Amino acid sequence: MLPYLVRRLVIAVPMLLGAVSIVFFALRILPGDPCVAMMGDQATTEALADCTKSLGLDRPLLVQYLDYLWRSVQFDFGTSLRQGYPVSEYIGRMFPHTLVLVMASAVVAALVGIPIGIVSALKRRNPLIDYPLRIFALLGLSMPVFWLGILLLIVFSLRLDLFPLIGGGDLDGVLAMIRSGEFLSHPADFLAGVGDVLYHLTLPALALGFTLAATVSRLSRSAMLEVISQDYIRTARAKGQLERAVVYKHAFRNMMVPLLTIIGLFVAIALTGTVLTETVFTRPGLGKMLVDAIGARDYPLAQGAITVFTMIIIIVNVVVDMLYAVVDPRITFK
Amino acid sequence: MAIVRGAAPELTTGAIVREASSTSRGRAWRRYVPIAIGVMMALAMVVMAAGAPLFAPLSPSAQFADAVLKGPGAVERHALGTDEFGRDLLSRIIWGTRVSLQVGLASVIFSFALGVPLGIVAGVQGGKVETAIMRAADMLMAFPTLLLALIIVTALGGSLSNEILAIGVALTPNFVRLARSLALTIREQDYILAARALGGGSLRVMARHVFPNALYALVVVATLYIATAIRTEASLSFLGLGIPPPTPSWGNILSEGRQYIKCCPWITTFSGLAIMLAVLAFNLVGDALRDLLDPRLRGE
Repeated sequence: MLPYLVRRLVIAVPMLLGAVSIVFFALRILPGDPCVAMMGDQATTEALADCTKSLGLDRPLLVQYLDYLWRSVQFDFGTSLRQGYPVSEYIGRMFPHTLVLVMASAVVAALVGIPIGIVSALKRRNPLIDYPLRIFALLGLSMPVFWLGILLLIVFSLRLDLFPLIGGGDLDGVLAMIRSGEFLSHPADFLAGVGDVLYHLTLPALALGFTLAATVSRLSRSAMLEVISQDYIRTARAKGQLERAVVYKHAFRNMMVPLLTIIGLFVAIALTGTVLTETVFTRPGLGKMLVDAIGARDYPLAQGAITVFTMIIIIVNVVVDMLYAVVDPRITFK
Repeated sequence: MAIVRGAAPELTTGAIVREASSTSRGRAWRRYVPIAIGVMMALAMVVMAAGAPLFAPLSPSAQFADAVLKGPGAVERHALGTDEFGRDLLSRIIWGTRVSLQVGLASVIFSFALGVPLGIVAGVQGGKVETAIMRAADMLMAFPTLLLALIIVTALGGSLSNEILAIGVALTPNFVRLARSLALTIREQDYILAARALGGGSLRVMARHVFPNALYALVVVATLYIATAIRTEASLSFLGLGIPPPTPSWGNILSEGRQYIKCCPWITTFSGLAIMLAVLAFNLVGDALRDLLDPRLRGE
């Protein structure tokens, strides 16, 4: 397995390099000078020249590129033009918000999508059950997450006043309490903090989770259909096992293998989804940070955000490849 | 990708299986319902886009000072209400169909025209050519579609042609991969051997034999990507990176309406509904086509 892992990582390196290069050169041809964007039209020529120099934008493009690559390897994405502190620090602060959102929506997607997929596969001969479930999946696939988000906001925040309209809750505070061990000494404060985070998380996680559930339900459906026609299922039935046991003990576990293959894809869709979801719910996170950075022509921040997004996707794909062998011992790596 | 296995050689078996399994006429008929609905919705969209000046009751840019932010039906001439400038929402949505359809179709045609030849060359030629093409495609695949389109549109600026280019490039690696995997199967077929034996050069074999046999599966997937393209366009516009206002696109109508969801939720509701119906239409058609052409995926 180790040689395979090494080879897989070696393949990942040029991919990552290429991706980072695309980002670098794409943002370099952006119209608009970042210094002008930062200092305004009234800035003096000297001030602009100083700014260009301090950002290193006066150097040849190739030098800037190599310098950028070298620093990216060390997770140094420069300093945010707007915020004034290191991009990596900013990303570090935003990352937990996005991670929490992705995990919560993954839970929603799995809880909704997998059962729907299984039922829809097992009851495929019953149009009264199969059709509504397939329609649900189609609607979920077709519904843009930002629209679902706005509909949820209109109903649950504005009309029913059950959930907040903006923000992400005090996640930083909760994390600080965990780090300092304070959550043991002040459990009430800690739980209140967690509650606040969940309160802010509910609608975004539902919106993103439901759109992802559609994908998950379709994939579960076809995975279940694939598994249910296998010989070992017939054997299990032939030896008189209850249908429930056949489904849960034999089919379900085996269907998780093909389902795993899409986790990489799933993470890519979910991360894209966070860009839109965080924007709709005005929630801090990497996605919103990226959109704001692009709007503010904050090159380093946008570059850093996109690089981190791409890294996550590539790394997740490598990890998923590894997971195959763990889940299915028949798969060996050559 | 499962669709690969539904390529040309199996299509005939699929038809036979279907005929044999359709015990009643009712069941066979039922299979065409989704595709019929999808095709009708897609056609309605085309008609609406082409005839926008005829169907839109008012000009999409005309501002009615007496009807700012009016709800659906509050003023008789505005069936779906108005926005913050007193512009007629229905007319704007009808005109917005053009943007969605143009971007959806043109970007898929772009990625098809760019990706399919590259994929077929990679699949048939193999070797270094294949490695080079596939590594490049893999690199682009590392970006989710929206993210890649977002980078390109940010670099080039938001306009109709840039959106088409951005989404087109973002979708290209998908076609490269699919075309390659189809070509890999097809190149092993006897008729390819025969074509070569008859003296057909590589280019001729690819254009006259590999491409036509891959076409079915490619078109099915292209239909599904139209849905992706429309959704991506709407997302870009929603993020403020698409076609700049005042040109109406569903995404920018929705984005502008976001500020008024408290008083005037109809702006976001109807523009979002339009996006969903358009995406749904092409998903329905693509799904149904795939089910019809790939017996393995039909589930029964």
